[in-house]
Amino acid sequence: MPPQLLIARNFRSNALKNRAVYLLILFIGILITYAVITSWSGFVKQNESTAHHQTETRHDWLDNPDKHPHRMAHYGNFAFRPKAPLSIFDSGMESFFGNTIFLEAHKQNSVNFSEAGFSTGMLRFGEISVAMVLQILLPLLLFFIGFTSIAAERENGTLKIILTQGISWKQLILGKIIGLAQIAMGVFVPVMLVTFVLWFFLQDGHITSDETVRLLLVFLSYGIYLLLFCVIAVLVSAASKTSKSALISLIGLWLMLTIVLPRASQALGSYLYPAPVKVTFLANIEKDVLKEGDSHNPDDIHYKALKDSLLTAYGVDSTSQLPFNYSGFVMAEGEKISARIYNSHFDNLLRVYDAQNSFLKATAFLDPFVAIKNLSMSLAGTDYRTYTDFQKQAEAYRYAMAQKMNELQIKYISNKKPGPDEKPVVIDQKHWEEVPEFKYVQPMVNTVFEHETTSFFALLFWIGLLYFMIEILSKELKVN
Amino acid sequence: MLEARSLTKRYGSHLALDNLNLIIKPGEIFALLGQNGAGKTTTINLFLGFIEPTSGSALINGIAVEEHPQEIKKHLAYIPETVTLYPNLTGLENLQYFSSLAGFNYSKQQLSDLLAHAGLQSQSFDQKLAGYSKGMRQKVGIAIAVAKKAKVLLLDEPTSGLDPKASNEFSEIIRSLAAEGTAILMATHDIFRAREVATSIGIMRQGNLVSTISAQDISANELEQLYLQTV
Repeated sequence: MPPQLLIARNFRSNALKNRAVYLLILFIGILITYAVITSWSGFVKQNESTAHHQTETRHDWLDNPDKHPHRMAHYGNFAFRPKAPLSIFDSGMESFFGNTIFLEAHKQNSVNFSEAGFSTGMLRFGEISVAMVLQILLPLLLFFIGFTSIAAERENGTLKIILTQGISWKQLILGKIIGLAQIAMGVFVPVMLVTFVLWFFLQDGHITSDETVRLLLVFLSYGIYLLLFCVIAVLVSAASKTSKSALISLIGLWLMLTIVLPRASQALGSYLYPAPVKVTFLANIEKDVLKEGDSHNPDDIHYKALKDSLLTAYGVDSTSQLPFNYSGFVMAEGEKISARIYNSHFDNLLRVYDAQNSFLKATAFLDPFVAIKNLSMSLAGTDYRTYTDFQKQAEAYRYAMAQKMNELQIKYISNKKPGPDEKPVVIDQKHWEEVPEFKYVQPMVNTVFEHETTSFFALLFWIGLLYFMIEILSKELKVN
Repeated sequence: MLEARSLTKRYGSHLALDNLNLIIKPGEIFALLGQNGAGKTTTINLFLGFIEPTSGSALINGIAVEEHPQEIKKHLAYIPETVTLYPNLTGLENLQYFSSLAGFNYSKQQLSDLLAHAGLQSQSFDQKLAGYSKGMRQKVGIAIAVAKKAKVLLLDEPTSGLDPKASNEFSEIIRSLAAEGTAILMATHDIFRAREVATSIGIMRQGNLVSTISAQDISANELEQLYLQTV
């Protein structure tokens, strides 16, 4: 057996003789079990509820009687956001996002009914998800086991005997890393197997290649992430004179990597690139929309140019002589304008968020936790990008629905207003079918590569950095 | 064979070892005597390749340590002042682990023979090292050294803290290893043990080997007087 594997086996068996290690593994196991159960039940509940309400909303839409299409545009529709299968692994920002938008003409409503909105402030302390345990607590366990890996050999005097046996520093370091990684995999692999089983069954056998790639990437990136922490633990232990100083250094490092750096960079990003508060954001949109006039009023001064050009083009004196419904035409124009204004504000907001997040993302080169956190949420479909993608798809659907109603009005509603004794102008309810049902489609996995390039490169950078550190320390380390 | 050629080690302004010249042939036991800080452990660490000389060379079987630090490990074994090893493992398991690291895969019987040869009682073989006395642990250390079949043995205060009986047993084993052709360098404070076990004795002071005597040519009392006068 190669000496690295002998060292790994010896380290593993010695570490697992420590009862405290078993207690910590047990504690982590309980947390993971809790996380799995809650995320599984949350997934089932939300997706059942989403599916139920989506169907109900569709029936309600189709069951509407004959009516004026603009009344239907205001009757509106709902867009429901189902949970992504991998949200059972990483809930990410899921709880802080709403999952339902009311879609109506002229208005871009915000997403409602987030978990956080229904929870106590305790949620601010962070949810327990499988990903959180793997990202934060498992590295702490690895540091707790790994701090003695070489420092204790130095303290006990066994280091000199090991090196005298012909073992090089590099072999010793690699052996300890392998031993620690085996312990890490002993926790990680069963967790991923449970995740796989749940992921498989929660999709009712409809496994897509996209979801499979996501799962494999989650597996790979977490494997790398945990390996990085094994290397850090062993290198710090090797560079420390005593186990005590190694433990203090590693706990300090853990606090820095998992708490201080991510929060500090997030706070700095928000300070340098302030985002508008929600009320201001919505008020600004409203203000800009009002500047463009009221499309409900065909005689609004803002649409005079449009009116004049139509009258000239059709050679008529009044809008009632036009061969189509002029009000519908104005509303279609108004919808275009209000959608453009909303999208412009929304894109500006996203640019601010991107600028804020750029700080956090750049921190990934200093902190592998930031890299895996962003990457994991993105792969699980629980990141802000996926959420905004839902908002964009919902807005696109809303716009298409409103314009479809405007189109029906232009086509089927007469320019003549009904008299006081006449029936209101309506169209047949069969037209409601022409608006398709909203179905949220999660972005393809290639968008993860686009948006999380920094995180991917940061993980690669860390692999290179730690490999370089192993090479350097193998040459520079001293016995005493 | 061990050889020091003008071996010098300096830490800043402190001269830890000054121009040491020494040859220890197969079958010889060379005891280095001296107070703390005299340069005994520095000499051993230089031969082990754990520190690099400021100038000069340390050679093991003609191979320069600083040029081939891994290669020379095949030729030497080392027993520190306190052999701690792994308390959770038994004597046999410790021996098996360390000899495997050196590339020797012995059967359980061979490992038992090595421990018995080092003077350990057979009933202790399968006991955890946590329950061993210091003398018993030193014997496991000897077994680890012997298992390597090394022709050079470096001992750093090996009998420190051992009771007279254990110390005597240790001396017997060292002598038997020398008789088999092992060159042995032993750093010690124990004048009488050095006189009893060594073939040659060197007295060090402030990094210098100030006196070298044949152990046969001097009585214990004379050696003590010389040591006290020298240091």
